[in-house]
Amino acid sequence: MNASSPEPVLSLINVDKRFPGVHALKQVSIDLRPGEVVGLIGENGAGKSTLMKILSGVYQHDAGEIRVGGRPTRFLDAADANSQGIGMVFQEQSLLTNLSVGENIYLGNEKQFTRFGIMNWRTLYDAAARQLAKVKVDVDPRARAEDLDFASRQMVELAKALTLEERGAGHLIILLDEPTSVLERAEIEILFARVRALKSRASFIFVSHRLDEVLELSDRIYVMKDGAVVAERNAAEADVTELHQLMVGRSLQAEYYREPLQKTYRAEIAVEAHNLSLAGAYRDISFQLHRGEILGIAGVIGSGREELTRTLAGFAPHGSGRLAVDGREVTLRSPAEAVDSGIGYIPRERRVEGLVLFLPVAANITLADLESLSRHGLIDAREERRLAISWVERLKVRTPSINTLCLNLSGGNQQKVVLAKWLNAKAKVLVLDHPTRGLDVGAKEEVYDLVRAVTTEGLAVILTSDTLEETIGLSHTVLVMRDGEITHRASANPGAKPRQVDLIGHMV
Amino acid sequence: MSTPTTSATSALPDATPAKHVSRFRLASWAPVIVLVLLCIIIASINPNFLSFGNFVRISQAAMIPLVLGLGATFIILMGSIDLSVEGVLTLAAVILSMLVLNGANGNDYGLLAVLAVLVIGAAVGFVNGVIHVKLKVPSFMTTLGIWFIGVGAANALLGGMAIRINDPMIRGLAIERFLGFARGVWLALACLGVALVVQNYTRLGRHIYALGGGEELAALSGISVARVRIMAFMLAGVFYAIGGILAAAQLGLGNAQIGNGRLFTTVTAVVVGGTALSGGQGSVLQTLVGVLIVVVLANGMVLMGVPPSVQIGVQGLMIIAAVALSIDRKLMRIVK
Amino acid sequence: MVRKTTTTAFGRPFGRREFLKGATLLGVAGAFPAIITRPGFAQGAPTVVNSIRSLSNPYHATWNKGGEAFAKSVSAEYVTLVTEGNSEKGIADIKAILAKTGGNCVINVDPNDSPDARPIVEACKAAGAYVVTQWNKPADLHPWDFDPNYVAHISFSGVPYGKSMAEALIKAMGGKGGIVALGGIESNVPAIERKAGLEEALKANPDVKLLDMQVANWSATEALEKTNAWLTQFGDEIGGIWAANDDMALAAVEALRADGRAGKVPVTGIDGIQLAVEAILKGELAGTVAWDPYWQGGMGLSIGYHAKTGKFDPSKEGQEHREFYGTGVIITAENAQSFYDSNIKSEPRLDWNDIWGRVSGQIKY
Repeated sequence: MNASSPEPVLSLINVDKRFPGVHALKQVSIDLRPGEVVGLIGENGAGKSTLMKILSGVYQHDAGEIRVGGRPTRFLDAADANSQGIGMVFQEQSLLTNLSVGENIYLGNEKQFTRFGIMNWRTLYDAAARQLAKVKVDVDPRARAEDLDFASRQMVELAKALTLEERGAGHLIILLDEPTSVLERAEIEILFARVRALKSRASFIFVSHRLDEVLELSDRIYVMKDGAVVAERNAAEADVTELHQLMVGRSLQAEYYREPLQKTYRAEIAVEAHNLSLAGAYRDISFQLHRGEILGIAGVIGSGREELTRTLAGFAPHGSGRLAVDGREVTLRSPAEAVDSGIGYIPRERRVEGLVLFLPVAANITLADLESLSRHGLIDAREERRLAISWVERLKVRTPSINTLCLNLSGGNQQKVVLAKWLNAKAKVLVLDHPTRGLDVGAKEEVYDLVRAVTTEGLAVILTSDTLEETIGLSHTVLVMRDGEITHRASANPGAKPRQVDLIGHMV
Repeated sequence: MSTPTTSATSALPDATPAKHVSRFRLASWAPVIVLVLLCIIIASINPNFLSFGNFVRISQAAMIPLVLGLGATFIILMGSIDLSVEGVLTLAAVILSMLVLNGANGNDYGLLAVLAVLVIGAAVGFVNGVIHVKLKVPSFMTTLGIWFIGVGAANALLGGMAIRINDPMIRGLAIERFLGFARGVWLALACLGVALVVQNYTRLGRHIYALGGGEELAALSGISVARVRIMAFMLAGVFYAIGGILAAAQLGLGNAQIGNGRLFTTVTAVVVGGTALSGGQGSVLQTLVGVLIVVVLANGMVLMGVPPSVQIGVQGLMIIAAVALSIDRKLMRIVK
Repeated sequence: MVRKTTTTAFGRPFGRREFLKGATLLGVAGAFPAIITRPGFAQGAPTVVNSIRSLSNPYHATWNKGGEAFAKSVSAEYVTLVTEGNSEKGIADIKAILAKTGGNCVINVDPNDSPDARPIVEACKAAGAYVVTQWNKPADLHPWDFDPNYVAHISFSGVPYGKSMAEALIKAMGGKGGIVALGGIESNVPAIERKAGLEEALKANPDVKLLDMQVANWSATEALEKTNAWLTQFGDEIGGIWAANDDMALAAVEALRADGRAGKVPVTGIDGIQLAVEAILKGELAGTVAWDPYWQGGMGLSIGYHAKTGKFDPSKEGQEHREFYGTGVIITAENAQSFYDSNIKSEPRLDWNDIWGRVSGQIKY
């Protein structure tokens, strides 16, 4: 693709959007040409989701112009966007799991299958089957969405977006918003193949955190930062390093995992496990975790590492063996007991387990240690405020105020609030359960900084991570697990990190 | 960095397809099993339970809860709650008693009166829906208010007295038989048929499930959430009004106390049938099973000679058990 | 005595035809001012005041009619106070009328709740007004402790009427057979008293067997369900149905009707609501008891008025005239028509000077 390509199917010209206190989109101009896949990248908060929401009719822009097929327009709601040929494929949650695949595909658009108000299910399912054939997915249209795996659900979403074709909406524009975040590599390949095959029917805007995927699938790439488009590149001429620099405004390779900050840990033992076993999960786990040490646990699904993490967080007490925290032998029967022993848990599902989203930042930070804040059973509000402000400053939490509800923070900042909570509760051990899942590159780096900072202060960290690379990069020591047992222990000192391939050999 | 999922530690421990789903579906047969067990136990203690005469009586006891339950099912499927059952039913019964041939005034509007009552039911449902949707008042509070307003209006109309209904068509619903069962029972079954069609073969039915499954996603699919909610409340209002007609027919009168205790039976029946209070899961057929469980239990406790003071306790236990069942299923869905 | 329960038992359909219009109007009027007055408080002649729960149930609406009729008979100013089930409002309104009339009034009150009686009586005593209470008062509050202002307390015992209904039922059954009984709310005093009456009658009639007694909580719907189940369980063994109130009795009649047996199995109720009297006329109900709220509303005022105007001195009356059970009217097929004609079709005519005519014994605690 180059600048002399045909008339764009979708043009955004100086589109502007403000929310109270936030200038979310600043003079954004983007073109999408027929049959093109345009990648859209940017850190959390760069404005990608706002842009997607404007294109799908959830928000309306304040200024600037949106043209579809050359005609100026705006999208009043989701149905309006649909009728103008905009289809959407979101992350896996956007199918209604209690409905069938066919019902999902034609949800909101069933009228064509009714006669005198009565639904003709056979014609609907036949039509749904034709849509599914377009994306070459072998799914029974009568199956309930909850019975599908995530990859199939994603294909169903694509099929649903393609129904717009039948409604004569002209050239289709399909928004792919983080469609790969829950897919395995093989599934991603299938999705990409389908998208490429469909380029004759539609144009795509592809939003993802994974720069290599964006490079792989897109023809052109727009980079957003702080609400503005900062760069446009042809995919063929761009590389990950450059895109990353454009996105976060700093270099990628240098010190990604903050290795120079990796200090030698102390002699005091924070956690000691001796022959720890839990039937059906893991057995004979022994290790010593020192203050200031990061202990990474690696292993594939079923290796027992997730269960071990849950034991340390108090969700699944161990069956036999001994576990000592800070020299005291414990059995962690509940998360509350884990907290009492000085263990803080940072879960992967921040929205479910880590934060009370409807409470403000300050209340979340002090949640795990209200006792020390209480005077005669009442919470000392001034002290709470002071503490919250100091944590927000120390961890550089980007929040309008400490009274903002956590709901309104970005993922990375929510993660910082969780961390602040445990630091404030004076936890001695942190269990990090996939701490960077769903975060973009910049936010990840901030988490790495934080982890280094807390270990320097003497906290011990147990880490399970999404990628082996991250595990190796951050840890002092890596435990490799397979079938519930420890198969390998590697020390990972700066400059002498073990190679991934060496560890993988012990995993499988 | 951007080496995504090439590492051996997969990012997707729970992204595998759910295999135990079929087991979960088995659980939705639990109410039917409970009903069958209940029948076996009662019949073994008092064989009269299985007599045709008793089936007729159970059907008469079940017809009103069934019609009310049908309306409530749609609301609960949507993830809302409707407490206005007694208000609409009472208002419908009282207005009906004043419009048909009765012992207090000279009116005799017959079928026209029935039609008027159905329109009133729909209108009250419309008010429920509009207040809920437009003023964004939670359905719990909206319908609570409408409940009191409905009973209050009925009270104001009658000044607390009762009107005897003399209209042979209305009384016939309770007294006249067709194939051994009261006409009202057939009317209730017709309502079940209508509800099944609405649930399975109309866009409204589909959209109600969609709202219960995820309102935001439904909205993103272009469904007018407000319209669906208002329509569902109107539909429910019509069912409650039919319930009012049947109640007036059965007691042969209209008064302001005619709805007392109906809400409890209705919601119990819907939930016992397995429709989740969280919405999206359930069906009107399950409500039929729930109604039968509640009615058979009440009938059976008298037949088995359970002391009155124990009966209410048994009902309470049944509700807790039913909710526990529904929570159990819900958990399985997340756990899978 | 227990208050809420009494109204559950008595605040039920009971009325005359003209209520359809009249009660609605009264109800609307009652919604606006707390006090409905006729213009001008005459000096000298005492104002007569009824304090009742509401005007939207026929029981109290009839009560109010009786009060009006009495006030008219002595040409006194008449005031209706409505508590709407709110004890504080009830007491405050009474204090307001005491202040307004300077204590020159007679109050006939159905206290919202038993404890309310004490502050009401004390306020009347302090203001010099005369007061009669009905149904609810604490057991240790006695008129003779507040001479002369607390003139009397009137209540009705459920025992004799539960018994006479059972006797009427047994008579209709021919003295033998099986009966089933529908009770009110289990913990409710009138329900307990009426049931005790039933048991007394059964003891005296060994040929009659109580097949089953179920609690239907005063509710027609529940009574219908229970009766239906009985029809399965006992079939033709059921020779009669005794119900603790008319609503439940009428529901039992409907259950019998659906079974094709209405009029063949005798049923009795209690309360004397219009529909019950009509059912007796049709031969579907064997009997009921009318409490006559018209009498309660008028005679309560009359007793107080007689004391206030010096026709008798309460402190010189015996205790059987200070705390007494009133007399209910037992209605069966024999007197149903005349009761209907004189009490429902037309306004009753009572001799308001016959103040002790319906005393049927001192209240026992």
